[in-house]
Amino acid sequence: MDGFVLTLWLLRLLFLALLYAFLFAVVRVLLRDLRLASRGPAELGRLVVVASPRGEPVPGASFSLDAVTTIGRDVNNSIVVDDPFASAEHGVLTFRGRAWYVEDLASTNGTFVNGIPVDGVAEIGFGDELQVGEVRLRLDRGRS
Amino acid sequence: MSIAAQARPFAGAGRRIRPRLRATETTLLVIVAATLVVGAMSLGATQRLREARQAGETLASIDLAPQDPVALAVLLGAVGLVHVAFVLAGRRTDQVLLPAVAMLGGIGLLLMQRLPQDLVQQSFFGLVLGLGQLQLVWLLIAISVIGTLALAVRSDAWLRTYKYTWAAAGIALLALTFVFGSETNGARLTLSIGPISGQPSELLKVILVVFLAGYLSENRSLLAEESTRLGPLRLPPIPYLAPMGAMWAIALGIVIVQRDLGAALLFFAVFLALLYVATGRMSYVMGGLILFLVGAFVLYNLFGHVQQRVDNWLDPWADPSGAGFQVVQALYALGRGGLLGVGLGAGLPTIGGRLPVPAVHTDYPLVALGEELGLVGLLAILGLYLVVVERGLRIAAAAHDDFRSILAAGLALVIGVQVFIIAAGNLKLIPLTGITLPLISYGGSSLLANAIVVGFLLALSDRGAGAPAPPRTGRPARLARLRRARA
Amino acid sequence: MTEPRTHAAGGRTSARPIGASIFRTGIALACAFTVLALGAGWWQVVEAQRLAVSPDNPAVIALARRTLRGPIVDRQDRWLARSGRDQNGEATREYRDPTISPVVGYASRQFGTSGIERAYNAQLLGLVGSDPLGGLADKFGVASRDPLGLRLALDLRLQRAAVDALGSDFGAVVMLDPATGEILVLASTPTFDASAVADPATAEDTFAVLRVDKTNPLLPRATLGRYVPGSVFKIVTAIAALGSRAVTPETVFAEQPGAEKQGLLVDGFRIRDGHHAVTGATPLDLVGATEASCNIWYALAGLRTGGVSLVTTASDLGFGAPIPFDLPTAISRVTSGNGSAPGGFEDDVELASAAFGQGQTFVTPLQMALVAATVANDGVLMKPHLVTALTGDGPGARTAEPEAWRRVLSEDDARAIQAAMQKAVEGALGRQFTAGARVAGVPTAGKSGTAELDDTQAPHSWFIGFAPVDDPRVAIAVLVERGGRGGERAAPLAGKLMTRYFELYGRP
Repeated sequence: MDGFVLTLWLLRLLFLALLYAFLFAVVRVLLRDLRLASRGPAELGRLVVVASPRGEPVPGASFSLDAVTTIGRDVNNSIVVDDPFASAEHGVLTFRGRAWYVEDLASTNGTFVNGIPVDGVAEIGFGDELQVGEVRLRLDRGRS
Repeated sequence: MSIAAQARPFAGAGRRIRPRLRATETTLLVIVAATLVVGAMSLGATQRLREARQAGETLASIDLAPQDPVALAVLLGAVGLVHVAFVLAGRRTDQVLLPAVAMLGGIGLLLMQRLPQDLVQQSFFGLVLGLGQLQLVWLLIAISVIGTLALAVRSDAWLRTYKYTWAAAGIALLALTFVFGSETNGARLTLSIGPISGQPSELLKVILVVFLAGYLSENRSLLAEESTRLGPLRLPPIPYLAPMGAMWAIALGIVIVQRDLGAALLFFAVFLALLYVATGRMSYVMGGLILFLVGAFVLYNLFGHVQQRVDNWLDPWADPSGAGFQVVQALYALGRGGLLGVGLGAGLPTIGGRLPVPAVHTDYPLVALGEELGLVGLLAILGLYLVVVERGLRIAAAAHDDFRSILAAGLALVIGVQVFIIAAGNLKLIPLTGITLPLISYGGSSLLANAIVVGFLLALSDRGAGAPAPPRTGRPARLARLRRARA
Repeated sequence: MTEPRTHAAGGRTSARPIGASIFRTGIALACAFTVLALGAGWWQVVEAQRLAVSPDNPAVIALARRTLRGPIVDRQDRWLARSGRDQNGEATREYRDPTISPVVGYASRQFGTSGIERAYNAQLLGLVGSDPLGGLADKFGVASRDPLGLRLALDLRLQRAAVDALGSDFGAVVMLDPATGEILVLASTPTFDASAVADPATAEDTFAVLRVDKTNPLLPRATLGRYVPGSVFKIVTAIAALGSRAVTPETVFAEQPGAEKQGLLVDGFRIRDGHHAVTGATPLDLVGATEASCNIWYALAGLRTGGVSLVTTASDLGFGAPIPFDLPTAISRVTSGNGSAPGGFEDDVELASAAFGQGQTFVTPLQMALVAATVANDGVLMKPHLVTALTGDGPGARTAEPEAWRRVLSEDDARAIQAAMQKAVEGALGRQFTAGARVAGVPTAGKSGTAELDDTQAPHSWFIGFAPVDDPRVAIAVLVERGGRGGERAAPLAGKLMTRYFELYGRP
């Protein structure tokens, strides 16, 4: 009988302890979440230069992407591609919701995703290869 | 072949669904399951001990079988299924809400299993269900609603576009209750249509938040203006104040017509909070509080039942066996609980066929939990609610646009404020108002409405939900605009 | 609130970032929840003990059905209340006789508790005093409880004698040991049969009759009855007068003898006396005025002392607030306190009348017994107490030690009043009023009182006193409702009871 009562009391305390264990685990999640939030928004994505015959941009370089990133020969672009086959305002990458889209801004020589020409707007996934003139860039996940 | 946007009219529709592990949710759910199993074991053993003692016997062996293991298994199974569905759908929704809700719901179920089962009885096709079983059925429905909403709601257009339709529906619901509602305990709360009966004010709170989110996000900048001066107060243009007045009138109307003080207080408080969230202006809150005090004063002087509530609150010991009975008994129950509580199921059973605290399953579950889990357990439960609210506000802060922000904040606040009102009433900090404790109280309407709230919050937390359509085919002029915007 | 705002054209203020206001709302809600937590802590920790042992608490009521309440005994361990079990195994309670009902009260399943049974409900049920760990087991309902017993200072023989002496009259007797504050007698009539209230079978009927009884047997008159004091209040005035140094034992008032015939005119109101035939033309001092019970001397002394001093001294004696005691007590008061004159009197007329006990003054018999005891104990007021020990094996068992409440007046002043009170009983003139109070062979002090109500009713009969004068061992207050003159009813009753005391406890 006494053993039973003791066991029961332990159960009751265990129940309360587990409640707090849950709260503790949740608080850890919340704190992690807050730390991430305080670091600012996670990077949306990166463009890594795979091939660049003229050396501008430098092969192997990677660009952190804004939600709207423009590519072209003009120096006002976010990513400047010094390539005779690229137009001044060649294309624009936009992040919508949770996907990247690439838009060809009526460039002379076109924009390609994995070798397929973009007609207007096309979705581009992580790992896909983007070609602007002779420069090839790969879309990678951003660091978080 | 070219990949053309025109070939994909719906973003993401053609994308393959990739399962995504939800490790945090899994871990938390395991803790929830462990907690509830331990709770059920403790409850079962206590109940058996009580029965044995009443029969004058002693228990021979240590028997720790959980109370109603089937019900618990069904509940945990349902939560698990929703979790698996989330994983398979690969959605990046919040991972804390579901476990927190499961914990609260599970504690509610344990409480309902511990109360006299004939407190509420309903029969379906000859099958008579008691309090605990009914609560389980409603919990299952609630969990499936949460899962369905979280997975199915991918666009908020239907909410934001038809806000006035929603408002009209809400007012219609209110009017229906007024005309057809039946009275319980002097409050006209219950609406019965055929075999289904429910408390429309519970659903109404969700509709209210949806409407307010639509209205406020649209008129945010206008409401933040300060063009009208009224003495020391700087007010926005008068026409934009109209909704505030209307809301106040509706709240008063609910009190007068439905005699539902709690719902009126909840609606008005959430309305003020959302107004502040949308405009960031304290003057609205101040003005609202003044309106509230005026309303409270008028109601106190005009209505006997309001006066009685307040008097009972101020001095329940004036008539401890009559008008103050419920309040006094609730305080005794809290006192019995003390720091660590008497243990699940070990609270006072019925006294002479009466509940120790009347309406404990709907209005006073927090007190019963305070008795059985003590201050330590009570604080944990308040903490669980704070977690739900925090997640909701976090979702609101991270939302893509004003509508979603205000919607998520409103949904979170509806739960938070409701918990505060009923808990403060239970603890004799404010006069008692008959509203439910979200996710724990017995009651289909309450569980369903709060499930919708949580379901919406989960849907809103998905970073991909309702992604805007892909950009339209560009014209070079667009680029200039983009550059300007960036500059 | 003072964040900079960006002003756009046209006086518009753009809405602030929504995140900030969401954050603030969250903080506000968190604060609100903190308040909830504090509220819960208040009831569950701070107030928990009080709530847990409250006699109305259903858990306590349920416990009372099962638990055998501890026994209550008098100072010589004669049982006053004891418990048993009926054939169903439920606890029953039995009381020795009706004389103790106003003190011990009852513990009824249907009608709750009263008296000592109520005041010590938790201890008698074994609800308090246990260690916290035992408390945990208690909540579970398995640990054996330790109901404590009570030993009262009461002497059953004296209590019975007091009730006997009161007979069919309504009234109250309080006897106590002035040196310790132990209450020996706390009698009140009419009384009732507490056993019949405690017995579930007869409780309904008994209580129904008691509740409508016009004679109010459920009112413990000694502690909760409030009466006009009449001349016994003069002792309070004497204490205040000497304490304030406005009056000394030798003070005489030249106008007093002259005023005896016509009455003393105070603000147009004539204060009359009944003894001018015997005291003659010599002005009286404290002893003489007390012996003759001179209203005019006391009225003048009261006026000279002033309302503030009178009320302050009275509150030192326990007036103006419930007396800290084992039972609830009614508040005795010198004046209604609504007046604008110093001390709350309406005017000098009220003050002068109060000084000899006929103003707006109302007192409980217990309060007047404390006045007598204070004088007897050379000016030190001991805390009155009924319960001398919590007995039993439980951890809450303890013995109550005598405790001084406060010194109200100096030893010299106390001795002066003692002498005056002795003269009031034993003096040539005093004997004519209070001869009956004398205890043969024991120097006795006292003061009788005749509380005039109105012309149609007989006055309340009062006596307060103590004996022996040189080393007081017992102080007494007697009140007989509409008993006539103090010297006729209350004083002989007091003398009889004090005599009985010395028979039982030995003469000095």
